[in-house]
Amino acid sequence: MIDVRNVDLHMHTTVSDGTDQPEEIIGKVKNAGISLFAVTDHDDVKGCTRILEIRRPEDPAFITGVEFSCKDEEGQYHILGYHYDPESEAIRDVVKNGHRLRMKKVTSRLDFLKDEFGFTFPQEEIDHLLSLDNPGKPHIGNLMVKYGYTKTKEEAIKEYINRIHFRSEYVRPEDAIRGILGAGGIPVLAHPTYGSGDQLILGEEMEHRVLKLIGYGLQGLEIYYSGFTARIRKGLFKLADQYQLYVTAGSDYHGGNKLIELGETGLKDETEPVEGFYRFLKEVGYTGGEL
Amino acid sequence: MNDGMKADQLTVMLTGRIDSNNAGQVEKDILAQIEGKKLSSVILDASGLDYISSAGLRILLRIRKIIPDMAITDVSSDVYEILEMTGFTEMMRVEKAYRVVSVEGCEEIGRGANGTIYRIDQDNVVKVYNNADALADIQHEREVARLALILGIPTAISYDVVKVGNSYGSVFELLNASSFSKILAENPEKMDWCVKEYVDMLNRIHQTVVPAGKLPDVKETVVGWAEFMKDYLPVEAANKLMALVQSVPHDDHMIHGDYHTKNLELQNDEVLLIDMDTLAVGHPIFELASMYNAFIGYSEVNHENVLHFQGFDFDTAWKFWRKTLAAYLGTHCEKKLEEVENKARVVGYTRMIRRSIRRKGLEREDSRAEIEYWKKELLDLLEKTDTLLFNKNELQIEAVRENLEDVQSFVEEHLDRAGCSPKAGMQIGLAVEEIFINIANYAYAPGKGNAVVRVEVSEDPVIVTITFIDHGVPYDPLAKKDPDVTLAAEDRQIGGLGIFLAKKTMDDLSYEYRDGQNILRLKKNL
Repeated sequence: MIDVRNVDLHMHTTVSDGTDQPEEIIGKVKNAGISLFAVTDHDDVKGCTRILEIRRPEDPAFITGVEFSCKDEEGQYHILGYHYDPESEAIRDVVKNGHRLRMKKVTSRLDFLKDEFGFTFPQEEIDHLLSLDNPGKPHIGNLMVKYGYTKTKEEAIKEYINRIHFRSEYVRPEDAIRGILGAGGIPVLAHPTYGSGDQLILGEEMEHRVLKLIGYGLQGLEIYYSGFTARIRKGLFKLADQYQLYVTAGSDYHGGNKLIELGETGLKDETEPVEGFYRFLKEVGYTGGEL
Repeated sequence: MNDGMKADQLTVMLTGRIDSNNAGQVEKDILAQIEGKKLSSVILDASGLDYISSAGLRILLRIRKIIPDMAITDVSSDVYEILEMTGFTEMMRVEKAYRVVSVEGCEEIGRGANGTIYRIDQDNVVKVYNNADALADIQHEREVARLALILGIPTAISYDVVKVGNSYGSVFELLNASSFSKILAENPEKMDWCVKEYVDMLNRIHQTVVPAGKLPDVKETVVGWAEFMKDYLPVEAANKLMALVQSVPHDDHMIHGDYHTKNLELQNDEVLLIDMDTLAVGHPIFELASMYNAFIGYSEVNHENVLHFQGFDFDTAWKFWRKTLAAYLGTHCEKKLEEVENKARVVGYTRMIRRSIRRKGLEREDSRAEIEYWKKELLDLLEKTDTLLFNKNELQIEAVRENLEDVQSFVEEHLDRAGCSPKAGMQIGLAVEEIFINIANYAYAPGKGNAVVRVEVSEDPVIVTITFIDHGVPYDPLAKKDPDVTLAAEDRQIGGLGIFLAKKTMDDLSYEYRDGQNILRLKKNL
């Protein structure tokens, strides 16, 4: 009998900021004893299409995934999308929009460095930067070191790049959720209590957020999460139960960052996962475990 | 980041803010210090930590995964709130930062096994712990004090934990209070009142049944002392000591463990017990042993000690101890007091010898003199002690003619309390005399041995039962043929008349020989 607690639906590959290639991660997932997994790169579905191409029947069960970084007037959110059709226009549009905004941000940063400090880079470097899937502060920092403007990447980010104060644009949560739904997927709020990764959102603020996102079509909460304590999970279970949301499980594995391991979701802390988790597995057609 | 190393424990300082901007770096720094080292525990000193975000919280989880024995200390109340809300305080050891208090120039009002109590202002006192593991002890004392209060023992409960120098202290409210030591030192005429209150509290403690598992068993501690003594006593004596301690049965009644007059406070007419960290369960003999030490044992060689420790002189201490013992046992019978006192001394000296060796070693002149004295007394006592158990209504006494008077007065005290008529009292007295003298004459002849005289009084109907037990040769005085009282006095056999009279006047008289003991029981309806 397969233990349904061996499920990990949140991990990153080199398509975003993980260190494992999609080709590598399948083997690692298998070695970790995981029976169902999803790859959830930031704002891109390329990893999933790649895995769908190369996955063999004897490999662990797989569903598509993605993690959109979203923002609106009230804050930042990471919205996970699961079990969508990666060829669908609806999800491709969200990915494209995200990429466009990111490129706009890179351009704004480069402009700022030029205007404010007179740092310039050859056009081919800029073209290369803009051809990357996910260029960010570290990439610009590396360039500054390469052209002798600073000694280290950290200094570049801290002393120069972070001085840029412009209204960065993000995908809005309602757009991400609409895109996921349009592609036949299930939108889930990632690590709810930690917001976009580094906040602490509790109590009424949490409930307000979830209610708003439900209004847009949110269907689940990622409650089994590597950084959550039993107390945090308990509060979220209550919300999930109250609004009949799916419950998902993910480690947020990033590869080389060895400290989060695959399968580390908190599911193993519990003898019996909550009902919303079983409903999610059933919804995505996973019948490996007891349902 | 500043780091300290102590054996295989690592201390890491957390400073400023830890959020997504620097979490990666902080994590790398800490891991660099942890990796490759065989650490048993890590302490994150958060005294300089202003804020921690969820990125920081995740670092805590990761460190804990590598070194499960992790603690975060000196946490500010803001950071503590975050850790509490997210359940981290339940997952790992989190210790709050404490208010700093100075006791310089403060009046010392108490001194216990683990700490000293100072008055910090008119309404508050602080107990400063003198050991390294103070926080665990403070937590323990808070828990046991709360337990005692629930079980009906009036005590002060600390409301705050503070930092005092390099140690910690717990703060209590103690208004207008005065310790019994102070009262005895300043108002010797209040001796009898002090004895009464002190014994009332002692009885209250000893009558309190403690739910299983809530408090440590003092016997285990005393077994440890006896174990220690194996290196310092002749084998036979050490074995006897261990056997005596081991044969004390488990007792689920409370004992205080450090019950002396500095630990009893009078606060606005209310008597409060303080210094609860030694609270335990066990037989009262262990309590009496520590009381003996506090008043007598500790000062037996150097009488100045008690003056220094309690504030009153050795003579006062001696009187207080004896009056207390008499009131506690409900008798003025010197032999009874001596019996129980000797048992207390066995345990008391054991403790004093161990304490002195551990604190001062065997080399110092003063400690050697003390240890030699205690050891000699202990060896003498071990020779004549069969058990550490005592019963308030039981007298264990050497079975010799000279002790008859003590036996008589011990029995009489009990009869008086039961409201016995003079006639019945006289009849019982005669029977007691006959039986005790029989034991003195025959049980151990030509040697000597102990006898037990137990007096039990039942209510409704009031029946007094007196039991005599000795370990001597089997001998049934009742089997003796009754003397022929029809004969003229000069023709009668010598002896046996007392037993005959006892048979006539008592309501029941029985003998049995069981487990190597002669057991003779007499009953009289009052």
